[in-house]
Amino acid sequence: MTTAPHDIHLPAALRGENINLAAGSGKGLGTGVLFVGLVLALAGLGLGFAGMFGASLAHAVAAYLVGAMSVLAVCLGATIFIMIFHLLNAGWTATVRRQFENIMSFLPYAWLMLAPVLILEIAKDGVLFHWLHADFQNDYLLIKKAPYFFGVGTEFPYFFVLRYLFYGAFWFFVTRRLLNWSYEQDRTGSVEPTAKSRLMCAWALPLTALTTAFVAFDFLMALDFKFFSTMWGVYYFAGAAFSSIATVSLILNLLLRKGKLQGVVTTEHFHDLGKLQFSFTVFWAYIAFSQYFLIWYANIPEETSFLLHRKDWGWKALGVFLIVGHFVAPFLIILSRHIKKNLTLMLVMSLWCLFAHVLDIFWIVRPMAYAENPAESPGWGGAPLDVIAILGCILIFVGYLIQKVASGPLVAVHDPYMHEGLEHKNYV
Amino acid sequence: MAKVYVTENNDRIHGIMAEFAGPADLYHACEKVRDAGYSKWDSFTPFPIHGMEEAMGIKRTILPVIVAVVGFTGVGLGYLLQWWVSNSGYQFVTQGKPYGGLVNGGWQVFVPITFEIGILFSAFASIIGMLALNGLPRWNHPLFKKERFLASSDDKFFISIEAGDAKFDPDATRALLEKAGATSIELVEE
Repeated sequence: MTTAPHDIHLPAALRGENINLAAGSGKGLGTGVLFVGLVLALAGLGLGFAGMFGASLAHAVAAYLVGAMSVLAVCLGATIFIMIFHLLNAGWTATVRRQFENIMSFLPYAWLMLAPVLILEIAKDGVLFHWLHADFQNDYLLIKKAPYFFGVGTEFPYFFVLRYLFYGAFWFFVTRRLLNWSYEQDRTGSVEPTAKSRLMCAWALPLTALTTAFVAFDFLMALDFKFFSTMWGVYYFAGAAFSSIATVSLILNLLLRKGKLQGVVTTEHFHDLGKLQFSFTVFWAYIAFSQYFLIWYANIPEETSFLLHRKDWGWKALGVFLIVGHFVAPFLIILSRHIKKNLTLMLVMSLWCLFAHVLDIFWIVRPMAYAENPAESPGWGGAPLDVIAILGCILIFVGYLIQKVASGPLVAVHDPYMHEGLEHKNYV
Repeated sequence: MAKVYVTENNDRIHGIMAEFAGPADLYHACEKVRDAGYSKWDSFTPFPIHGMEEAMGIKRTILPVIVAVVGFTGVGLGYLLQWWVSNSGYQFVTQGKPYGGLVNGGWQVFVPITFEIGILFSAFASIIGMLALNGLPRWNHPLFKKERFLASSDDKFFISIEAGDAKFDPDATRALLEKAGATSIELVEE
């Protein structure tokens, strides 16, 4: 790591080994994990084709989709947080923003991870996306919704594919610009990139929010094309914010354990990350219950089908587990400030929250794999396939992240709000 | 029981008030008063000073615990109220839903009210608890009798140590504040 002339003005905590991992560290490990992830993810889809574990192809695609959508949520959450930080001139985030950026840089790849699902579904005429399947084309609701799914006067889902391409193009454009500005500031020390980022976020944040909601409509809600919920976009966002904060806490926690970022990221920052983790625990529960409550109360067949698919065949137990694991337990544990500031306990909670997040997406996607033919489900016998495909997608992300975190400074040293970030303190 | 001090006119003494020129002076003076072991004292500034609670050695408030206890009580009471009314007090079938409860089903319908009562109790506990812990509301305070003290909302910085403090001693306390850099020191009558 060479020191640029303006770097000598930086405080000691923002120089040298404290903010850099050893050159080349994480390269081997990261590549290895990434490779294992790729193998597992592809193996998951391949095993579905081969019908191993008594599973159908829909099962394999669903398992893969769980992994891909979980990772995508983490990346989208990080992107939205960065935009909010820029827009609010959030001083305390100056020392932690780089880790959000590392996660954000995976967003285009997470988008790419959805491509196999879309290609498979179109090629196989909708094994999981039933709206693509020939059997359902005469369904009254699908005929009414066809313009949104397919486009007008076409049997190929042009409009769906177009939307998918737009998400990718937009996310690629926005994340690259934010990242390039941040790295430019690392090199030059100029204030300008921060101002440019803030200006762009002003229009990019609403669009990112909309694309987040619509990607959730397209790839999660549409699994049951009869079902609709206006809460759906918020539901996915709640999980995204929840899981991205957990991921950032986890990365920072591990870096502190390696002796990095001493005096840069303190328990005060963890206190605030813990507050965000707590608030999105509550937020998730609030909107998840609101969605459930309205479906329960209104009792409209198209809506209740969503819950009926998740009631029998053992799925109810998972739903109850989510209430406890995604809300009650984190709520009661992270409520106390002593725990928010306890690095060991927060390490456990970060991992737990990520687990709960994946389980949440699993609960949304996986019951749909055998929704039409529940008797053919292999039950627990198919679990290895789920583990392989989900773990594969997650390990691709983890492997990439290990390399990314190790590749550059662990903090955006020339952030104009760095002095606020360094001295950040929560009062008594 | 702390000693009661009086002036020559037999007025009871509230404590000693010391004026400081700037925030840094006050900050360091507070550290000295804190280290001397006083507990019934306070500082007054025209604007918030960062790190003051550490300089004054202020302990963390117990308010969150009060709010949690009262809030969860509200949650329990809110649920019980609805459960009793729906199942025993005034059974009424609405939209063909169950009466409600964890056993018979239909607990969903209780959640919004349970949640809101929890919020309501927490809010009351916060505001009333905060007022009670601060000794508010009160009509007046002995410090307001001092013309000089008005500057505490303008450009001057004050420490007042109450006579009720176990460590209070008219001479020693005055000496401490003088040594801490006070620009003026006055006795405050009740």
